Amino acid sequence: MPITAEMRETARGKMHAESFSSRFKVFWKNVYRSLFRYGRMPRDAEGQSYAVFNNLFLHIHPVKVSKHSLKFTYTLGLGVIATILFLILTFTGIWLMFYYFPSATEAYNRMLDLRSSVDFGFVLRNVHKWAAEAMVAVVILHMARVFFTGAYKPPREFNWIVGVILLLLTLMLSFTGYLLPWDQLAFWAITVGTSIASYAPVLGEPLRKFLLGGDTVGQEALVRFYVLHVVILPGLMSIFIAIHFWRIRKDSGLSHPNENGSSARGGAT
Amino acid sequence: MREVNTKEVFPKNSNKTYGLMELVKGTKPTVGLQPDDMVFTWPHLLIRELVLFVVVAGLLLVAAFLFDAPLEEVANPNHPPNPAKAPWYFLGLQELVSYSAFAGGVLIPTLIVVALILIPFIDRKRIGVGVWFAKQRAFANGLFFTFLLVMLVLIIIGTFFRGPNWDFVVPWE
Amino acid sequence: MRKKQNRTQQPEIDRRTFLTALGWSGVGLSGLIAALGNLLYLKPAVEYGPPTRIRGGKAKDYQEGIKEVLENERVIIVREKRGFAAISSTCTHLGCTVRASDAGFECPCHGSQFDNDGFVTGGPAPRPLDWYQVSLAPNGELEIDKSVKVPPETYFKV
Ligand code: HEM
Ligand code: FES
Repeated sequence: MPITAEMRETARGKMHAESFSSRFKVFWKNVYRSLFRYGRMPRDAEGQSYAVFNNLFLHIHPVKVSKHSLKFTYTLGLGVIATILFLILTFTGIWLMFYYFPSATEAYNRMLDLRSSVDFGFVLRNVHKWAAEAMVAVVILHMARVFFTGAYKPPREFNWIVGVILLLLTLMLSFTGYLLPWDQLAFWAITVGTSIASYAPVLGEPLRKFLLGGDTVGQEALVRFYVLHVVILPGLMSIFIAIHFWRIRKDSGLSHPNENGSSARGGAT
Repeated sequence: MREVNTKEVFPKNSNKTYGLMELVKGTKPTVGLQPDDMVFTWPHLLIRELVLFVVVAGLLLVAAFLFDAPLEEVANPNHPPNPAKAPWYFLGLQELVSYSAFAGGVLIPTLIVVALILIPFIDRKRIGVGVWFAKQRAFANGLFFTFLLVMLVLIIIGTFFRGPNWDFVVPWE
Repeated sequence: MRKKQNRTQQPEIDRRTFLTALGWSGVGLSGLIAALGNLLYLKPAVEYGPPTRIRGGKAKDYQEGIKEVLENERVIIVREKRGFAAISSTCTHLGCTVRASDAGFECPCHGSQFDNDGFVTGGPAPRPLDWYQVSLAPNGELEIDKSVKVPPETYFKV
């Protein structure tokens, strides 16, 4: 069969197309490999190790963990749930900041706007609110889990103390956030709450003034609570959560019934 | 350790100052002699975390669509609501404050925090670790349980059984 | 430098320990001063709130036995036979706003009760309501200074 000019034309086009798609595949593969050095769903020991070890977000984990620590009935997942809630709160909180305004005359209006005008505003506010309430409860339950399983004993004394700090930070975050809507509930809960502080001997009254930026709950108090709530306390919380996780690894992972005497101290996983 | 994989699974990379050394099949080196119960984080732990994330996020979304976060009238310093209540987790303390502001608001919270910090330095015997409600720990667990229970009861009283003027009310009447 | 010949005793601490301690003390002290500075910065220095001196109207407009509530000021002006008093309406328990009642004042938050002079007659409030200084402005109006507290029962005679 003689080859016509037309056939040549299509053949060339096809060849061109093929080489483009294959080149794109190579390009895509190179991009992917520059991000992730090992396959997408590693199934062998090497790949599974590297998947965790070489990923910034995953390498908080050890490469291997004990089966005991994976048992849901042991941890009830409470520490992980607390972490998830903190991440969700950070996300929704930053989103709320786009509309919120820490002003005694404006804050409440912004709450109304979030509820009625802003698309999905009510979802963000509601998720933020319910996640915050849940976090307080979950952190307390996590502490109870740690106690009832004796997981605070050496070598984990320090991580228990980090935990106590995390509990206090959680309560403070929740309390400072409580004022921000500037409604009756907020105003009086903070009035009552900060008045309790003034019963502390010597330091009480100065502490209350310090927190409120004045004698009564007003504009100054709102700004102070806002800065604490959106910058200082979440920052401290992130730092202490990082220490908490780092310590879990330095304490040889989670507590374990077969742990013996001295070997767990200083071990690393 | 029974079986050691001597193959260089993680070849040395001269560009790095650190690296995974080797893969050892056997017990966790730091724990000593015991049956191997280690599994890979990928996928065993990660899938659990993912599932928890999906469940938590899902529940929150459902809650967000079903229940609106409370928002009352705009703050008015002249008209306190009756009764004025702190957030729920402080209502146990507020209940104590209604008997004595110093004891409930300062003394007891301080004691609680100090006691919590001291726990791991007082109770150091490494028995009954890693299991729920170990028999050898009955006393400590009982003590802590009582503490949690008292706080819970106080919070419930403060939340449901306190009405106008902080008088005792019965919620279902 | 050469050692002095006439030294008889070895120093208790050697030079290195001393200088190290000195160095660390310097670092510690600067840290402390910096921390103090930051704290002072945060200490509320300026009152941004409403003015503390307020006017309460002409004295002769008040009848005996009256309890006039200045809502936004959180002050209650009382006129008795003995004179005028300006009593704070902020409850001494946990800061709610009290309201006038037949027997004196009562707080809705946790049920504290006060008599006409602001003394506690019931409930958890630990001290009497604050009394503010009352004086007469040149134009004959009552002037209340909320930054100056006076002992209870200090009535101001016109
Ligand atoms: C923001 C709050 C907190 C977060 C995000 C958090 C997170 C976690 C996570 C993810 C774990 C791994 C095991 C698990 O899921 O149970 C853990 C373990 C642990 N947590 Fe927390 N935690 C918090 C608060 C606390 C508190 C309040 C305490 C105690 C006072 C505490 C003490 C411990 C201890 C001792 C362990 C090791 C448990 C073991 O080895 O079995 N944590 N935490
Ligand atoms: S604030 Fe008035 S009784 Fe508590």
